[in-house]
Parts: sequence; structure tokens; C-alpha cells
Amino acid sequence: MLTINNLHVKLEDEPREILKGLSLNVKAGEVHAIMGPNGSGKSTLSYVLSGRDGYEVTEGSVMFKGENLLAMDPNERAAKGVFLAFQYPIEIPGVATMQFLKVALNAQRKARGEKELSIPDFMRFVKERAAKLNISQEMLKRPVNVGFSGGEKKRAEILQMAVLEPSLCVLDETDSGLDIDALKVVADGVNALRSPDRAMVVITHYQRLLDYIVPDFVHVLSDGKIVKSGGKDLALELEEKGYAQFVEKAA
Amino acid sequence: MIQALSKTPAEEAFGMSLPHRRMEEWRWTDLRRSLVKPYPPRQNIVSLPRDIDRLIASSPFARLTSHRIVFVNGSLDQARSNFAGLTFELGGPSSSSVDDPVIHLNRAIDPSGLTLRFDESFDVPVEIIHVATPGAPRAMALHNRIEVGQAASATLVETFVGEGDYVINAITEIHVGAGARLDRVKVEIDSRDATHLSYIDCILAKDSKLNELTLTSGAGLSRQNGNYLFAGENVNAHIAGAYLLDGRQHADTRLVMDHKVPHCTSREIFKCVMDENARGIFQGKVIVAKHAQKTDGKQSSHALLLSETAEFDAKPELEIYADDVVCGHGATAGDINHDHLFYLMSRGIPQAAAKSLLIGAFVGEAFDAVVNDGMKEALVAFADSWLTRRAST
Repeated sequence: MLTINNLHVKLEDEPREILKGLSLNVKAGEVHAIMGPNGSGKSTLSYVLSGRDGYEVTEGSVMFKGENLLAMDPNERAAKGVFLAFQYPIEIPGVATMQFLKVALNAQRKARGEKELSIPDFMRFVKERAAKLNISQEMLKRPVNVGFSGGEKKRAEILQMAVLEPSLCVLDETDSGLDIDALKVVADGVNALRSPDRAMVVITHYQRLLDYIVPDFVHVLSDGKIVKSGGKDLALELEEKGYAQFVEKAA
Repeated sequence: MIQALSKTPAEEAFGMSLPHRRMEEWRWTDLRRSLVKPYPPRQNIVSLPRDIDRLIASSPFARLTSHRIVFVNGSLDQARSNFAGLTFELGGPSSSSVDDPVIHLNRAIDPSGLTLRFDESFDVPVEIIHVATPGAPRAMALHNRIEVGQAASATLVETFVGEGDYVINAITEIHVGAGARLDRVKVEIDSRDATHLSYIDCILAKDSKLNELTLTSGAGLSRQNGNYLFAGENVNAHIAGAYLLDGRQHADTRLVMDHKVPHCTSREIFKCVMDENARGIFQGKVIVAKHAQKTDGKQSSHALLLSETAEFDAKPELEIYADDVVCGHGATAGDINHDHLFYLMSRGIPQAAAKSLLIGAFVGEAFDAVVNDGMKEALVAFADSWLTRRAST
């Protein structure tokens, strides 16, 4: 589904490279965890995949379902099935969450040549998914992420994911700022979306999240490259021994 | 003393000199330069009934109001007006004690008008609409007075629509009685070739409430002045404004909150959207008299600049003589927030639609001042159509 080959990325207005030849192959149904210390390039990877401005790809390629992902605008990527759950979800004053979900879903459906959902169908569709994430009707009426607590923001991200039903979910530090109860709710929401035709890339600093979202593969990202890959036990090894061994190896 | 320059053709026609940029309050709006040709007052314009009806129907509130007072080219159109249940006197106030160039010009043009009294609460909106039909350049004026009696409430809409090249000058005197409430919406969607000048002279008696929104989107040049006198204690005034401007439009609003007595609250919130070469100005003055303790006066103006060449100027002035007050002002100007835009696009919303959503949300905050849900929806729909037009060009 996703093939990243020798990806080199730098910031547009700085010469320093952040990703230095990253390669990754993700198939449908798989859950990949990408772990790494601060500054290893984890968030850059998530932004490059979702198409944020400010990054320049100097070498390499990213293919998604056989198409060049890097040539697409962020909205085109979303319509093709890419979803980024933000580490810091953005507050949008004046746009009600429900309205936002409706505009986003219908824009994606339109881009894919599908019919827009009727309002009652849409409301039912969202309410079912919101209930599972303990998201109240009142929260859906509020502007997107405005005044939401850290936990509410992360749950709202997962709700968007559940409503938009992407085929590739990129979760950027979804565990940051969550207490254990909130983490469980979020992880349950993510696990409910696991399916044979959906892939997930879970980016995290800590192993903790992987107790709840159990990955098929774990990769260690250090200094812009994947320096080690393995099964879920690699995460435990990292928790025990730390990143130092890999960081040194890379240096 | 500086010798006055020779009169411009417009000044000849009005028989008075016009304000210009060397006057502090008019530094951004040089009327003397802008009004170059003569705009003769009291012209008889032959207007086609279908033009009048079409323009009346272009009011965002056309379907919401049945109580409508129609002025066409500066004169009352009794046949198209519906006064049912309203208390009124034809012929507006015959003078004004306010010394202001807009008011002097209004008198020079010789205004029409009426006095509308709400002695009892009137529970449906009343619209006063001014329609300018296509015709030769000319000046027109209205001078209306609105009185809301003690403990009464009313919803007033003032709408300005038109086509062609003209000057419209409208004074609205407002008196909100003790314990009374007025919800007022003004929509300025005059012709792009028009100059819109207005003055609100508002007196608020004790325990009264005023909710107000002015939407400015039509005239090529607009200058709207307002003076709000807090004459009794415990007055609550919420005054909002929205600009939706493009092309070479120029909109200047100058408001004075005159807190003469203690324990009053004034809120001003202006949300201004400027595209292309448009220019928006907000000048807000808050005066708190020495004994007007516990005044709570806040003012904010925010501009969204959609092009490199759009401009916004804000001039807050606080003149506070009391020592126990909460007063403040804030002004911001910027373009669309890139993080917001990326977030919306990352969810599949195309760029143009995402921008429209964000601009609509920005200006929509001003509409929150509107209490009547139907009217609020009509304003949102107007903003949406403005955004759709913008996105398609």
C-alpha cells in the first residue's frame, strides 16, 4: 500500500537534512510502529506523508496504492485514503465539529465520485462512532478542537479517522498528553479500525502505546533513517535498553 | 489660517465644503477627493417598477420581513410600504444638534424620513430599506428616528441597496428607553459605484439593551459614524460589525462610546475581510466620564487580509477620566492561518473550499450579535454567496 524508498527531506528554508534515506514498505492490514528519540525525524515523516508545506523532498519516492503520493495536494491524499492523526490537533474557531466532519466527508466522497450522504444518514453515522469514543453531542457542536482538553482532542482525531475511514492511518505521537484511561479509549478506537484492508503507521516515542495498539512491525528511526526493524519485541527491548545503542550505531 | 481651496464641483452642488484627510477623523477617507463630480440633490428619477421590486427582493431579509418601509431614491414609497400595527409620523426630525460633516451634508441634501415609535414590544422585525435605482448621478438623504419606549423591545433592520452612481447619506437617531431593548441590523449592499455615508446618533436610557450588527459590503466608498451615549446606568450595548470587501472598496467606520454614567457595558467587535485592493478602517473611541465608575468597555477589531494589496487600519482611542473601570482594546490583522488551512485540507477539503470555510467562520463571529436566528441565517447565507462568488473568480 505504501512504499517509501530512500526518502531524503529537508526544510525548505534550511539546508539541514532531516530524513536521510528512509525506506519503508507497508502492506494492507499491517500495523507498523516507528519509534525514535526526539529529533530523529518522526514528525517530519508524518508531515511529508500528509503534504504539509515547508518541506522539500530532495531524493527518493513515496508511492501510495501505486501512485506518486508526493505529487498530490493534501486534500487529494486524504481523498485517496491517507489520514494523519496530529500530535497537536489544530483548533479552528467558528467551525463546528459536526459541520467540519460533514464538509470533509462529502468533499472526499465527491473526489472519489461517490454520492454525498444525506443529513440524517450522516448524523447517524457520526453519532454511532462518537458514542464509542465517549464524545458527547455537545462536543460535536463546539468548534473544532476549541476548548477541548488534551484527551478530547485525541479522541476527536480518532473520531475523524472513524468517520473518514482512510486506508492508511498515520498516528503521530497519539499517546502524548494522555493519562492511562484516555489512552485506553483512544487505543480501543484505533483497534476497532484495524482491518485487512487498512494499514497503520504508529509514530511514538514511548513503548507504552504499543501495549494497547500491538504492532506487527517495529522500526527504529534515528537521525533520519530506519536503523533497525523487527517484530513487536523490539519495542520492549527499546524500553529496556533505550535508544542509545542505535543512536551511536547511526553516528 | 489656511485659505480654503477653491470648491470642487461636488462642493458647489452641496453648497458646503467636504471633509478631507487633514481632518484627524477623516485622515483615511478624503471625501473632498473622492467625490469629484457634482451629485445634485433632489433629482426626479424615473424608475421602473421592476427595478424597484428586484432591488427590494435583493435584501438578505426579503423573505423574513413583512413590515417594510421602503424609500426609493430618497423618497418614501408608501405603496410598497407596510406600516400595519406600527406607530409612526412621516417626515423625520427637522434638525440635528450634532456637529458632524455627515450630518451637515445630510441637511444640505434635504432628507426624507420618518419617526417610528415602539411604545409596546413589537415581536417581528421591521425593515427600513432604501433603494437606489439606475439613473443619473445624484445625492439622496434619509433622516429617521427610532424610539423604543420604556420596557419595550423591537427588532429593526436597515438595508441599503442600489445600482448606479450616487451618494446616499442616512442619519438614524435612536432612543432606547429605560429597560427597553433594541436589536438592530444594518446591511450596506449599495452599488459598487455608490458612496454611502451614515451617522447613528444613539441614546441609551438606564437598564436598556442594544444588540447591533452592521454588515458593510456594497458601496465603493463607505463612511459610517456612530455616537452611542450611555445616559443611564446598567446599559448593555453589543455593537458588532462585519466587512466583506474586494476590488477597490473602501470602508471606514468611526464609533464613539460615550460613557457618561457608571455601571454600563459596551462591547465592540469588528470582523473585517478585505480582498484584492480593498481597504478597511476601524476607528473606535471610548470615552469614560469622571464619575462613570465601573464602566466595562471593550473593543476589538480583527482583519483578515486575503491579498498582498489589501489594507486595514485600526485606530483605537481610549479617553478615560474615571479610575475604577475595565476598558481595553485589541486589533489584529493577518492572512489565513496556514496551520488551519493545512488541517482542513488534510481532511480532504480542497483549498478553495477550506479557505471559504475559514473566512466564513471568521466573519461569522460578528453575526453572533444577531439575536434573531432567521436573520443570523440570512447573514450567513449572504456571506456564503459572497465567498462563492469570490472562489469562482
